[in-house]
Amino acid sequence: MAIIVNLDVMMARRKISAGDLAEKIGITPANLSILKNNKAKAIRFSTLEEICRALECQPGDVLEFLEVRHGADE
Amino acid sequence: MWNPKKSVQLSLICTKIVILMVVACAAALPSLIDRYAEYALVPVETSSLHMFMAILYLCCVPAMAALACLHMLLGNIKNEKVFITRNVKLLRIISWCCFAASLVLTFAVRYYLVFGMMSVAIAFVGLILRVVKNVIEQAVVIKAENDYTI
Repeated sequence: MAIIVNLDVMMARRKISAGDLAEKIGITPANLSILKNNKAKAIRFSTLEEICRALECQPGDVLEFLEVRHGADE
Repeated sequence: MWNPKKSVQLSLICTKIVILMVVACAAALPSLIDRYAEYALVPVETSSLHMFMAILYLCCVPAMAALACLHMLLGNIKNEKVFITRNVKLLRIISWCCFAASLVLTFAVRYYLVFGMMSVAIAFVGLILRVVKNVIEQAVVIKAENDYTI
C-alpha cells in the first residue's frame, strides 16, 4: 500500500487510547482498528476532519505517501 | 405479507423438490424408457434406447452438481451473505454444469434431434449465469471497497 496511515504514532504522541479516539471521532473501535492497521481502502474527508480535530494535527501528520515499486519483489 | 425472505425460502423448497425429482427420475429411468418405447409412434431400436438412457444419466451428473450448488447459493442468500466470493464460485460451477450438459446433449443430437434445441437452451442459460457471475464478482469488489472505507 503506497499510502501509510500513521494513526498509532499520532495517538502515542497525544497519549490517547483507541477507544477514546473512536468515541471522539464517532466511529466504531473495529473501524478505527482497520484504519490503524492500514487495512482501509479509503478514508472519508469527514472522518479525516474528525481525526485531525481530535488529535490536533494536519492530514499530513496522519497520512504518508510511500513510494512502492510494483513488482519489485516478483 | 410476502417478503424477500419468504421468496428465498420458496426457492429453497423448489430446489429441494427438483433435487428429489431428479433422483426419482434417475431411479425410475429404466422403466420410464420402457414406457417411452411402448408408446412411441415409431418403433425404437434397443441400442438407441440404451444410448438415450446413457445420455440422460450423463446429464444427471451436471444437473445434480448444479442443483447442489444452487441449494448452497440460496442458503448463503438466506444467511444474508450475497456478495461473497463463495457465491461467485458457486455461480461459476453452475454455469460450467450448464455448458457440460449442453455438450453432452450436442453429442446426442445424432440420436434425437430435440436434444439440439435443449442443448442450445441450456448453453444460453449457462451464458446468462456467467454474466450474472461477472456482475456478482464486481459487486464483491465494490462491497469490499465500501466496507473498508472509513
